[in-house]
Amino acid sequence: MSGRGILRCWGALMLLLALTTGLAFVPLGPAQLGVSLAIACTKALLVLLLFMELKASSGLVRVFAAAGFFWLLIMIGLTSADYTHRTDQRVPVDTVR
Amino acid sequence: MTDEALTFQYATAEQQRETVTLGMWAFLATEVLFFGALIAAYFNYRIWFGAEFIAAARMTKVVFGTINTAVLLTSSACMAMAVGSFESGRRRGPVLWLTATALLGLAFIGIKSVEYYLEYQEHLVPALNFDVHQHGGIAEIFFIFYFCATGLHALHLLIGICLVSWLAIWIGTGRIDRSGSTTRLIGLYWHFVDIVWIFLFPLIYLAGRSG
Repeated sequence: MSGRGILRCWGALMLLLALTTGLAFVPLGPAQLGVSLAIACTKALLVLLLFMELKASSGLVRVFAAAGFFWLLIMIGLTSADYTHRTDQRVPVDTVR
Repeated sequence: MTDEALTFQYATAEQQRETVTLGMWAFLATEVLFFGALIAAYFNYRIWFGAEFIAAARMTKVVFGTINTAVLLTSSACMAMAVGSFESGRRRGPVLWLTATALLGLAFIGIKSVEYYLEYQEHLVPALNFDVHQHGGIAEIFFIFYFCATGLHALHLLIGICLVSWLAIWIGTGRIDRSGSTTRLIGLYWHFVDIVWIFLFPLIYLAGRSG
Protein backbone atom coordinates (compact mmCIF):
# COMPACT_ATOMS: atom_id res chain seq x y z
CA MET A 1 0.00 0.00 0.00
CA SER A 2 1.23 3.49 -0.83
CA GLY A 3 1.96 6.03 1.88
CA ARG A 4 -0.74 8.31 0.54
CA GLY A 5 -3.30 5.46 0.60
CA ILE A 6 -2.42 4.69 4.23
CA LEU A 7 -2.81 8.36 5.16
CA ARG A 8 -6.24 8.53 3.47
CA CYS A 9 -7.37 5.38 5.26
CA TRP A 10 -6.14 6.77 8.60
CA GLY A 11 -8.06 10.01 7.94
CA ALA A 12 -11.24 8.06 7.20
CA LEU A 13 -10.80 6.03 10.40
CA MET A 14 -10.39 9.20 12.46
CA LEU A 15 -13.51 10.76 10.89
CA LEU A 16 -15.50 7.61 11.65
CA LEU A 17 -14.23 7.65 15.24
CA ALA A 18 -15.39 11.27 15.63
CA LEU A 19 -18.72 10.39 14.03
CA THR A 20 -19.44 7.38 16.25
CA THR A 21 -18.41 9.24 19.44
CA GLY A 22 -20.58 12.23 18.48
CA LEU A 23 -23.58 10.10 17.57
CA ALA A 24 -23.34 8.26 20.90
CA PHE A 25 -24.52 11.44 22.65
CA VAL A 26 -27.48 11.94 20.28
CA PRO A 27 -30.65 10.25 21.54
CA LEU A 28 -31.31 7.65 18.84
CA GLY A 29 -33.23 5.22 21.05
CA PRO A 30 -32.94 1.54 20.18
CA ALA A 31 -31.13 2.38 16.92
CA GLN A 32 -28.07 3.41 18.97
CA LEU A 33 -26.49 -0.05 19.10
CA GLY A 34 -27.10 -0.67 15.39
CA VAL A 35 -25.60 2.67 14.38
CA SER A 36 -22.48 2.27 16.52
CA LEU A 37 -21.97 -1.32 15.33
CA ALA A 38 -22.43 -0.31 11.67
CA ILE A 39 -19.71 2.34 12.08
CA ALA A 40 -17.48 -0.20 13.86
CA CYS A 41 -17.97 -2.65 10.97
CA THR A 42 -17.04 0.07 8.46
CA LYS A 43 -13.86 0.85 10.41
CA ALA A 44 -13.00 -2.86 10.67
CA LEU A 45 -13.56 -3.32 6.92
CA LEU A 46 -11.20 -0.42 6.16
CA VAL A 47 -8.51 -2.04 8.33
CA LEU A 48 -9.16 -5.52 6.88
CA LEU A 49 -9.21 -4.48 3.22
CA LEU A 50 -6.47 -1.84 3.21
CA PHE A 51 -4.10 -2.24 6.19
CA MET A 52 -4.38 -6.04 6.17
CA GLU A 53 -4.24 -6.01 2.36
CA LEU A 54 -7.24 -8.29 1.80
CA LYS A 55 -8.25 -6.08 -1.14
CA ALA A 56 -5.08 -7.13 -2.95
CA SER A 57 -5.12 -10.76 -1.71
CA SER A 58 -6.18 -13.93 -3.51
CA GLY A 59 -9.67 -15.37 -3.09
CA LEU A 60 -8.34 -18.19 -0.92
CA VAL A 61 -6.81 -15.77 1.63
CA ARG A 62 -10.04 -13.77 1.69
CA VAL A 63 -12.10 -16.91 2.35
CA PHE A 64 -9.78 -17.79 5.27
CA ALA A 65 -10.18 -14.29 6.65
CA ALA A 66 -13.97 -14.35 6.27
CA ALA A 67 -14.34 -17.81 7.87
CA GLY A 68 -13.65 -16.66 11.43
CA PHE A 69 -16.16 -13.82 11.19
CA PHE A 70 -18.73 -16.12 9.58
CA TRP A 71 -18.56 -18.60 12.49
CA LEU A 72 -18.69 -15.67 14.90
CA LEU A 73 -21.96 -14.51 13.32
CA ILE A 74 -23.42 -17.98 13.84
CA MET A 75 -22.30 -18.03 17.49
CA ILE A 76 -23.61 -14.55 18.31
CA GLY A 77 -26.75 -14.97 16.18
CA LEU A 78 -27.88 -18.24 17.75
CA THR A 79 -27.07 -17.35 21.37
CA SER A 80 -28.75 -13.94 21.02
CA ALA A 81 -31.81 -15.57 19.46
CA ASP A 82 -32.00 -17.85 22.50
CA TYR A 83 -31.70 -15.08 25.07
CA THR A 84 -34.07 -12.76 23.16
CA HIS A 85 -36.86 -15.33 23.19
CA ARG A 86 -36.62 -16.63 26.75
CA THR A 87 -39.83 -15.96 28.62
CA ASP A 88 -38.92 -17.21 32.08
CA GLN A 89 -38.19 -14.69 34.80
CA ARG A 90 -34.53 -13.95 35.39
CA VAL A 91 -33.26 -14.27 38.93
CA PRO A 92 -32.68 -10.76 40.32
CA VAL A 93 -28.94 -10.62 40.92
CA ASP A 94 -29.15 -8.21 43.83
CA THR A 95 -31.49 -10.40 45.86
CA VAL A 96 -29.40 -13.57 45.59
CA ARG A 97 -26.45 -12.19 47.50
CA MET B 1 11.22 -19.16 10.23
CA THR B 2 9.37 -17.70 7.31
CA ASP B 3 12.30 -15.47 6.58
CA GLU B 4 14.53 -18.12 5.19
CA ALA B 5 14.73 -18.34 1.44
CA LEU B 6 12.45 -20.79 -0.39
CA THR B 7 12.12 -23.99 1.66
CA PHE B 8 11.95 -27.41 0.02
CA GLN B 9 8.21 -28.03 0.15
CA TYR B 10 7.33 -24.99 -1.97
CA ALA B 11 7.52 -24.67 -5.74
CA THR B 12 7.71 -20.89 -5.85
CA ALA B 13 8.31 -17.97 -3.49
CA GLU B 14 4.77 -16.76 -4.26
CA GLN B 15 3.34 -20.12 -3.09
CA GLN B 16 5.37 -19.93 0.13
CA ARG B 17 4.17 -16.38 0.71
CA GLU B 18 0.52 -17.30 0.23
CA THR B 19 0.84 -20.38 2.47
CA VAL B 20 2.30 -18.49 5.43
CA THR B 21 -0.35 -15.79 4.98
CA LEU B 22 -3.08 -18.45 5.07
CA GLY B 23 -1.55 -19.91 8.23
CA MET B 24 -1.63 -16.51 9.90
CA TRP B 25 -5.27 -16.00 8.93
CA ALA B 26 -6.17 -19.42 10.29
CA PHE B 27 -4.61 -18.36 13.61
CA LEU B 28 -6.43 -15.02 13.49
CA ALA B 29 -9.74 -16.84 12.88
CA THR B 30 -9.25 -18.66 16.20
CA GLU B 31 -8.56 -15.27 17.80
CA VAL B 32 -11.75 -13.86 16.27
CA LEU B 33 -13.70 -16.64 17.98
CA PHE B 34 -11.76 -16.18 21.24
CA PHE B 35 -12.72 -12.50 21.54
CA GLY B 36 -16.03 -13.24 19.83
CA ALA B 37 -17.12 -15.47 22.71
CA LEU B 38 -16.61 -12.52 25.08
CA ILE B 39 -18.60 -10.24 22.79
CA ALA B 40 -21.38 -12.84 22.52
CA ALA B 41 -21.50 -12.87 26.34
CA TYR B 42 -21.81 -9.07 26.27
CA PHE B 43 -24.83 -9.25 23.94
CA ASN B 44 -26.48 -11.87 26.12
CA TYR B 45 -25.99 -9.77 29.26
CA ARG B 46 -27.29 -6.74 27.41
CA ILE B 47 -30.44 -8.56 26.24
CA TRP B 48 -30.91 -10.20 29.64
CA PHE B 49 -30.24 -7.25 31.98
CA GLY B 50 -31.27 -4.44 29.61
CA ALA B 51 -31.21 -0.85 30.89
CA GLU B 52 -29.33 -1.61 34.14
CA PHE B 53 -26.46 -3.22 32.21
CA ILE B 54 -26.29 -0.32 29.74
CA ALA B 55 -26.40 2.19 32.62
CA ALA B 56 -23.27 0.56 34.09
CA ALA B 57 -21.44 1.25 30.82
CA ARG B 58 -21.87 4.97 31.51
CA MET B 59 -19.43 4.65 34.42
CA THR B 60 -16.54 3.96 32.01
CA LYS B 61 -14.26 6.85 31.07
CA VAL B 62 -15.34 7.81 27.55
CA VAL B 63 -12.64 10.48 27.07
CA PHE B 64 -9.87 7.98 27.86
CA GLY B 65 -11.53 5.39 25.62
CA THR B 66 -11.83 7.74 22.67
CA ILE B 67 -8.23 8.97 22.95
CA ASN B 68 -7.05 5.36 23.19
CA THR B 69 -9.01 4.41 20.07
CA ALA B 70 -7.33 7.25 18.17
CA VAL B 71 -3.92 6.13 19.51
CA LEU B 72 -4.48 2.55 18.41
CA LEU B 73 -5.82 3.44 14.95
CA THR B 74 -2.77 5.68 14.45
CA SER B 75 -0.46 2.86 15.54
CA SER B 76 -2.05 0.64 12.88
CA ALA B 77 -1.39 3.29 10.24
CA CYS B 78 2.27 3.38 11.39
CA MET B 79 2.42 -0.43 11.17
CA ALA B 80 1.06 -0.30 7.59
CA MET B 81 3.72 2.32 6.78
CA ALA B 82 6.41 0.05 8.27
CA VAL B 83 5.32 -2.91 6.11
CA GLY B 84 5.13 -0.76 2.96
CA SER B 85 8.53 0.78 3.68
CA PHE B 86 10.10 -2.63 4.42
CA GLU B 87 8.76 -4.20 1.24
CA SER B 88 10.10 -1.37 -0.87
CA GLY B 89 13.57 -2.36 0.39
CA ARG B 90 14.43 0.36 2.92
CA ARG B 91 16.01 -0.28 6.32
CA ARG B 92 15.79 2.99 8.30
CA GLY B 93 12.16 3.66 7.32
CA PRO B 94 10.65 0.46 8.74
CA VAL B 95 12.71 0.75 11.96
CA LEU B 96 11.37 4.27 12.57
CA TRP B 97 7.77 3.33 11.76
CA LEU B 98 7.97 0.21 13.94
CA THR B 99 9.37 2.30 16.82
CA ALA B 100 6.44 4.70 16.43
CA THR B 101 4.04 1.73 16.41
CA ALA B 102 5.51 0.27 19.62
CA LEU B 103 5.53 3.67 21.36
CA LEU B 104 1.87 4.27 20.47
CA GLY B 105 1.11 0.78 21.80
CA LEU B 106 2.87 1.68 25.06
CA ALA B 107 0.92 4.97 25.19
CA PHE B 108 -2.30 2.95 24.92
CA ILE B 109 -1.22 0.72 27.83
CA GLY B 110 -0.24 3.81 29.86
CA ILE B 111 -3.62 5.49 29.35
CA LYS B 112 -5.40 2.22 30.13
CA SER B 113 -3.43 1.88 33.37
CA VAL B 114 -4.51 5.35 34.50
CA GLU B 115 -8.09 4.36 33.69
CA TYR B 116 -7.78 1.14 35.72
CA TYR B 117 -6.34 3.14 38.61
CA LEU B 118 -9.26 5.61 38.56
CA GLU B 119 -11.70 2.69 38.47
CA TYR B 120 -9.92 1.15 41.45
CA GLN B 121 -10.36 4.41 43.34
CA GLU B 122 -14.07 4.42 42.47
CA HIS B 123 -14.45 0.88 43.85
CA LEU B 124 -15.33 -0.56 40.46
CA VAL B 125 -12.94 -3.54 40.36
CA PRO B 126 -14.78 -6.85 40.90
CA ALA B 127 -13.06 -9.34 43.23
CA LEU B 128 -10.81 -6.56 44.52
CA ASN B 129 -12.92 -3.75 45.86
CA PHE B 130 -16.25 -3.59 43.99
CA ASP B 131 -18.81 -1.64 46.04
CA VAL B 132 -21.96 -3.61 45.28
CA HIS B 133 -24.14 -1.50 47.61
CA GLN B 134 -23.22 1.67 45.77
CA HIS B 135 -23.16 0.40 42.17
CA GLY B 136 -25.43 -2.68 42.19
CA GLY B 137 -24.96 -6.32 41.18
CA ILE B 138 -25.59 -5.86 37.47
CA ALA B 139 -22.96 -3.14 37.28
CA GLU B 140 -20.57 -5.70 38.80
CA ILE B 141 -21.38 -8.12 35.96
CA PHE B 142 -20.67 -5.34 33.46
CA PHE B 143 -17.34 -4.60 35.09
CA ILE B 144 -16.37 -8.27 35.14
CA PHE B 145 -16.91 -8.23 31.37
CA TYR B 146 -15.08 -4.91 31.10
CA PHE B 147 -11.95 -6.10 32.91
CA CYS B 148 -11.87 -9.49 31.14
CA ALA B 149 -12.26 -7.94 27.68
CA THR B 150 -9.92 -4.95 28.10
CA GLY B 151 -7.42 -7.02 30.11
CA LEU B 152 -7.17 -9.73 27.44
CA HIS B 153 -6.93 -7.05 24.79
CA ALA B 154 -4.11 -5.32 26.69
CA LEU B 155 -2.31 -8.67 27.02
CA HIS B 156 -2.52 -9.14 23.23
CA LEU B 157 -1.24 -5.62 22.76
CA LEU B 158 1.72 -6.26 25.09
CA ILE B 159 2.62 -9.36 23.04
CA GLY B 160 2.33 -7.17 19.92
CA ILE B 161 4.64 -4.52 21.42
CA CYS B 162 7.26 -7.23 22.17
CA LEU B 163 7.01 -8.62 18.62
CA VAL B 164 7.23 -5.18 17.01
CA SER B 165 10.26 -4.17 19.17
CA TRP B 166 12.02 -7.43 18.33
CA LEU B 167 11.27 -6.91 14.64
CA ALA B 168 12.62 -3.34 14.70
CA ILE B 169 15.90 -4.57 16.20
CA TRP B 170 16.20 -7.41 13.69
CA ILE B 171 15.50 -5.17 10.69
CA GLY B 172 17.88 -2.53 12.08
CA THR B 173 20.71 -5.05 12.40
CA GLY B 174 19.98 -6.57 8.99
CA ARG B 175 19.02 -10.01 10.24
CA ILE B 176 15.74 -10.19 8.30
CA ASP B 177 15.51 -11.47 4.74
CA ARG B 178 13.95 -8.89 2.43
CA SER B 179 11.78 -11.47 0.68
CA GLY B 180 10.47 -12.92 3.97
CA SER B 181 6.96 -12.59 5.39
CA THR B 182 7.70 -11.97 9.10
CA THR B 183 7.14 -8.21 8.91
CA ARG B 184 3.83 -8.61 7.06
CA LEU B 185 2.60 -11.32 9.45
CA ILE B 186 3.41 -9.30 12.59
CA GLY B 187 1.58 -6.43 10.86
CA LEU B 188 -1.50 -8.65 10.44
CA TYR B 189 -1.42 -9.50 14.15
CA TRP B 190 -1.14 -5.84 15.12
CA HIS B 191 -4.06 -4.81 12.89
CA PHE B 192 -6.14 -7.66 14.31
CA VAL B 193 -5.64 -6.38 17.88
CA ASP B 194 -6.75 -2.99 16.54
CA ILE B 195 -9.94 -4.52 15.08
CA VAL B 196 -10.80 -6.11 18.45
CA TRP B 197 -10.62 -2.67 20.03
CA ILE B 198 -12.72 -1.13 17.21
CA PHE B 199 -15.58 -3.38 18.39
CA LEU B 200 -14.92 -3.15 22.14
CA PHE B 201 -14.93 0.66 22.02
CA PRO B 202 -18.62 1.25 21.10
CA LEU B 203 -19.85 -1.67 23.23
CA ILE B 204 -18.02 -0.54 26.38
CA TYR B 205 -17.65 3.23 26.15
CA LEU B 206 -20.48 4.44 23.92
CA ALA B 207 -23.38 2.35 25.28
CA GLY B 208 -26.03 4.40 27.09
CA ARG B 209 -24.36 7.80 26.64
CA SER B 210 -27.48 9.56 25.36
CA GLY B 211 -29.85 8.08 27.94
